[in-house]
Amino acid sequence: MSAETYAILLSIVMVIAVVWPLLLTIPALHSRLYWPRHLAIVPAALLTVLPGDISRQLPWLLFGAEFAIDGVTRWVLAMSVVIWFIAATMMKSSKQGFANGRTTTFFLLTLAGNLGAVLANDLVGFFCFTTIMGYGFYALFVQNGNAETQRAGRLYLIFLIIADLLLFEALLLAAFTTDNLRFEGVRAAIAKASSSQFYLWVTFIGFALKTGIWPAHLWLSSAFKSTNQATALLIIGVPVVMGWLGAVRWLPLGEHAFGISAMIIQMVGVIGVLYATLKLCTPTSVKIVWMSSGAASLFIAALGTGLAHPTIWRQYEYLGYPFIASLGGLLALLIVTIGWTQKTRHQHPAVALPRVDILSRWIGATRQWVEDTLLGLPSLWHVSRLKLVKHYQYGSHWQKLRDFVVGWKAAITLFVLLGLALAWLAT
Amino acid sequence: MIASSLLPGLIIFGLAEERVRLRTVLNLSGALVKLVLVGFVLWGVSQGQQYETRLALLPGLELVLRAGPLSLLFVSLSALLWLVTTVYAIGYLEGSPHRSRFFGFFSLCVTATVGVALSGNLITFLLFYELLTLATYPLVVHRGTEAARHAGLIYLRYTIAGGALLLVATVWLYTLTGTLEFTPQGFLDSVGAEQHTALIIIFTLLIAGFGVKAALVPLHGWLPLAMVAPAPVSALLHAVAVVKAGAFGIVRVVYDVFGVEFAANLGVLGPLAWLAAITIIYGSLRALFQDDLKRRLAFSTISQVSYIVLGTAIAGPIAAIGGVVHLVHQGLMKITLFFCAGNLAETLGIHKISEMNGVGRRMPWTMTAFTVGAFGMIGAPPVAGFVTKWYLGLGALQAGQEWVIIVLAGSSLLNAAYFLPILHRAWFQEPPNTWPKEFDFGRKETAWMLLLPPVITALMALAAGLLAAVAFSPLEWAQFIAEQEFSRP
Repeated sequence: MSAETYAILLSIVMVIAVVWPLLLTIPALHSRLYWPRHLAIVPAALLTVLPGDISRQLPWLLFGAEFAIDGVTRWVLAMSVVIWFIAATMMKSSKQGFANGRTTTFFLLTLAGNLGAVLANDLVGFFCFTTIMGYGFYALFVQNGNAETQRAGRLYLIFLIIADLLLFEALLLAAFTTDNLRFEGVRAAIAKASSSQFYLWVTFIGFALKTGIWPAHLWLSSAFKSTNQATALLIIGVPVVMGWLGAVRWLPLGEHAFGISAMIIQMVGVIGVLYATLKLCTPTSVKIVWMSSGAASLFIAALGTGLAHPTIWRQYEYLGYPFIASLGGLLALLIVTIGWTQKTRHQHPAVALPRVDILSRWIGATRQWVEDTLLGLPSLWHVSRLKLVKHYQYGSHWQKLRDFVVGWKAAITLFVLLGLALAWLAT
Repeated sequence: MIASSLLPGLIIFGLAEERVRLRTVLNLSGALVKLVLVGFVLWGVSQGQQYETRLALLPGLELVLRAGPLSLLFVSLSALLWLVTTVYAIGYLEGSPHRSRFFGFFSLCVTATVGVALSGNLITFLLFYELLTLATYPLVVHRGTEAARHAGLIYLRYTIAGGALLLVATVWLYTLTGTLEFTPQGFLDSVGAEQHTALIIIFTLLIAGFGVKAALVPLHGWLPLAMVAPAPVSALLHAVAVVKAGAFGIVRVVYDVFGVEFAANLGVLGPLAWLAAITIIYGSLRALFQDDLKRRLAFSTISQVSYIVLGTAIAGPIAAIGGVVHLVHQGLMKITLFFCAGNLAETLGIHKISEMNGVGRRMPWTMTAFTVGAFGMIGAPPVAGFVTKWYLGLGALQAGQEWVIIVLAGSSLLNAAYFLPILHRAWFQEPPNTWPKEFDFGRKETAWMLLLPPVITALMALAAGLLAAVAFSPLEWAQFIAEQEFSRP
């Protein structure tokens, strides 16, 4: 086969990898197939094993989109394929008929969005496919769920909408700065633009909300607590990993030293890691949430370093995608292992915490922090697991609220420490 | 193009109620002929051809019909959606009384809309604009109920008052300039600075006149009331004819009467942009608290149509693309939503959002079309609404009006807040044991004449976003228009 023919073949497989699951979303089509969820992944799986790099422009799509696959993208694609394959196998719906068909439709819609986002080589394409993926995932998450799942879904949806709005602003800034909306084109152009700081922050916050890093982890913990194992696996594979991928692709890494902004991002990452580690020590927390949040924070710290030192990022840039793929794969493996262990030991997958609404939680957290920190109580001391448990034993009136505020107390204290550190560094 | 709907309409008026087949043939053939003619003219204009007809009205005043790029965008939209709405209306009104009267006025309404679109000067525009008012009134009161008559009366009061303001402004303008001919970049350059105050007043009168039909706040009062009309009429009011004619009038005034540059120098575009922004947010806020589905959609229209005005008032070529293309995009998305609302009412007796639990399971195709329309309204890609918001946002940045981005973001957030709960209810809540009023359509979810139109328009809304860059897409046509409006000869 000539190189030209092979390139055409690869392009066709690449486009089919996205279009095929989209086509299969039509109930009349997937209901006639055996294993439609697995079948939908086949072209993408094929793409991961076919060697060679290719990019293909689709001028008729949106404002002119581009798909590309290369050595590093293949890592993320391979991880996605594995996660989706496991999820498809695990997601054996107990219900037949409409519910089953609907699950398949949402599953395939989310899959198509996910694969499209991995293969997209421009900002508009990535945004479009992640939007499809995000809303598709919401549907997949809440359908057949109980009231708690629906509440968690609503929280996820709020984060998703805000994140998408912020990313849309970033997209507009990018388009205003340059006509070339490919990732590398935007990175180069935006780094030189006067709006680069604003772009950096809206992009960072947008993806931070999607990945659930500290302090935007609220939806993540809520989602993990209320869902089944297959969907928990997809939480890692869909919004979290795609958020990491988006951050690497959108942020102007390796182009310009961002100084103070980069340092803040680094510190947010470091605090997130510390916070997740502390939470992992508490008996009531859902471990996987904090593993995920900790991993995301670690990644953010690395991004902060890349933004602060462009030369370092350029030197190690090639590790970014394998790093994302490994981190995502590792977390997915953890979920599967934990699920399997719990299943064999007949344990409940997650410890459900008493529910308190967000407003009360914030008010309570602030109040608790004021009590413990400003009034001279040693707040950090309370973070230790034994003291917290002891502390709660005396609580009566605020018992339920305090179950929740423990985490926020530590978070707020760390946040203030961060502010103090920054103020000190600035002077 | 005008005769293709006028003649069938006049014949239909004289038809007996039982001549169903002939009426259907006349309706559909008229709509198809119009579509073919529009296709021919569209092709001709894209190749640089000019089409114009003049007829003397009074000494110095002519009835002018001209097919320019902007006219054709509106005509194409009207012709396309008229065909779809006709199919829907035939299915919707099957077996109901006064169908000849309904379809007669229906055709007259589209005739007036095409006249408005093709008008080559302000007086022609005004004539067809008033004809549109008179042709839509019988459609609003078609059901003949007390509520319908009340809504019709309010509609008539608003629109006739608006028409009177337009007449005053037109006469005043004619006395100042001696011409009313629509001209790219306007025809007021020669007016002396001493007349600028008068021109500002004229501009205000024109905006107020057109603002009634475009439902600009505080002139929007008639629109939510007019929801008592049958679903095809609502679709016509919101997507094809009435509010669009108002918005189109504002576009004409800014581009072809005053000219963007002249209007900007006069300082009238800033307040217009703010008025549009207020309407966008106000409409969305009011929509948030409506339980009646059609009322929620009506307030959504109030908000969405002002995107067109906002795009025009930002006064830049990119924002102009966003505004102009939304004429088509809003039409496609909103007609889908109204068709779906009609289907829910006609099939299951559902009128309120609180009655929509689990309706997605009972009517999956209708609710899929509704979902596409709703996501388009939110501005989520790849539906058409995303393209509009993209160009409006980019245009605002280009014009240095960053505040518009906040308005767009706020509007998107509010749109999500009032559309997503509907979708959640429809798809993820358990359906009730019985629906308010269920009609039997056998194994189908509803009659095919009711189902096909929303599915087609939803697909068109999706295609307008997904295939925005292809030749002859609404976006490409809007870019062509903006190029003409903003390039000095």
